[in-house]
Amino acid sequence: MTRFNPPDAYWKKDVALFFSRRFALLIKVLYPIALIVPVAASDIPAQYAAAVIGIVAIMAGTFGAGESLTSDLNDGILVRVALTPLSPHRIAFEIMVVNAVLDFVQLLPALLIVYILHPAPLVWVLAATFGVLATLVTANCIGIFIANFTSSPADVLLYATAILAPLIYVSGFFRNTDPTGLLALLRGFVPFAYMNEALKVVFGLAARSTPFEVFVYPAIICALFVFGVCLTGPRLLSPRL
Amino acid sequence: MEKAVALYAKKLTRLYESSGRGVSDVSFEVQPGEAFGLLGPNGSGKSTLLRILSTAIAPGSGIFRVGGIDALKEKQKARAKMGLMLDRPTHYGDLTGWANAYLFARSYGMEEGKAKSALAGLFDYFGLAEYKDEKVKTYSYGMGKKLALIEAMAHGPELLLLDEPSLGLDYTSRLSFQRKIRELSSAGAAVLLASNQVDEVEALCDQVAFLHRGKLVALGTPEDFISSLKGVRRIVARLHNPVEYSALKEVHGVTRVVPEGRDLVVHCAERSGIVADVVAGIGRCGGEIVNLTVERPNLEDVYLKLTGEALRDDEV
Repeated sequence: MTRFNPPDAYWKKDVALFFSRRFALLIKVLYPIALIVPVAASDIPAQYAAAVIGIVAIMAGTFGAGESLTSDLNDGILVRVALTPLSPHRIAFEIMVVNAVLDFVQLLPALLIVYILHPAPLVWVLAATFGVLATLVTANCIGIFIANFTSSPADVLLYATAILAPLIYVSGFFRNTDPTGLLALLRGFVPFAYMNEALKVVFGLAARSTPFEVFVYPAIICALFVFGVCLTGPRLLSPRL
Repeated sequence: MEKAVALYAKKLTRLYESSGRGVSDVSFEVQPGEAFGLLGPNGSGKSTLLRILSTAIAPGSGIFRVGGIDALKEKQKARAKMGLMLDRPTHYGDLTGWANAYLFARSYGMEEGKAKSALAGLFDYFGLAEYKDEKVKTYSYGMGKKLALIEAMAHGPELLLLDEPSLGLDYTSRLSFQRKIRELSSAGAAVLLASNQVDEVEALCDQVAFLHRGKLVALGTPEDFISSLKGVRRIVARLHNPVEYSALKEVHGVTRVVPEGRDLVVHCAERSGIVADVVAGIGRCGGEIVNLTVERPNLEDVYLKLTGEALRDDEV
């Protein structure tokens, strides 16, 4: 921990805070296990088991980033950080990356248990893991994007629901599992869908995508999202008057 | 080569659409090594002006330069030259005081060794050394304020922007703060101090600007301002008991009465017999005087003369 505390960079501050709150850290790691493992251990249909993991990842990413950001904005500390010579684009990038990685660290123990309960080809295990990471990056981007427009954690919940509901539908978690036409085209642009496909394979369904698709397309889409979120840095960090 | 003006502001304007308030056409300069005081009551535009100068918000019009750098075009370069303590101090409560200060020092580009050395000196100076490893959420308001001062000063800025820096500090810490400001000024740093603590501004600042309803109404040295107030006196009466003192305003020559703690400060014209009349007036109000001093006017009186309004809200 001495490499992160005292922190010499914004992202290290988040890592230091993450590990400094021991009880909160325990809860953060336990709640995905509590939600995911019983589902994975049950004989629930594979489609829904995959959907549960997907929903947990999306919620953790979107609400985590959005709410912690609005809290820091209300506190004024984020504006103070923004007045240092650090580039606001860089700060936005660090916020996004560190939150996504920390969310991933939270989910990893639950994912490992899933892989133990449902042994799958290594390439699909890696694809599913990457799909979850891509989902967390996307979800954090959405959370940060929302924080550009509100400083109220309650509004984050509202806006996130409005944005996520159609994306989850398009991704085919519960309905719209065999889309055609425009819906099929749109699905290709939502990283959640690739994670869902990979997780379904882990849970025993036949693959409808290739591992290559799960690695490459979400990576490209996420890079564009991250770029877009970094562009919002100056607005995100400006005082709300 | 001649050193650039530390802060050059010309015709800065920013009016909030919702309230119509803000600042309008504000121009001034602060030279390296100069302490510049900004005085004005709540709502006069001090905070807006500091937000603009800190680059937190952009002015609607006007320009300003920090150390010769156009702060509107090259924000990051300008920010690197500034040390800020604006509004209320905010920190990461779950990090220690040291971790907070270190993060800011490194964010300003300080190398590890220099950051640690500068911070150690400042923590020691402000009496926070023994609390440096405690989480900031356990700090008192005054300790948080000292930490914010440390964060503002650690990287050796060319320009310090401080908003009510000593408000909430105990007497000893306030003296330490003032000593440090003098030290930094002597070393060539420019200081812009927005405050309603007129004694402090008078004691520290080489120049003072008065803001009134968003406009800069006067600019000069404290000495010149105060010496311009001939025929004005302040009678400071320490009372044994609080009293309803509004009747004091009826005394001929009294312009204003302000309670300050146990003191009643009576601003009045200098005329024969006025001290006796004020004492009698306090007596009629039921006040029991335990100490009485007659003082020369201060910057509060200057503001009153310039604008017809009080610098602070607590007058009758």
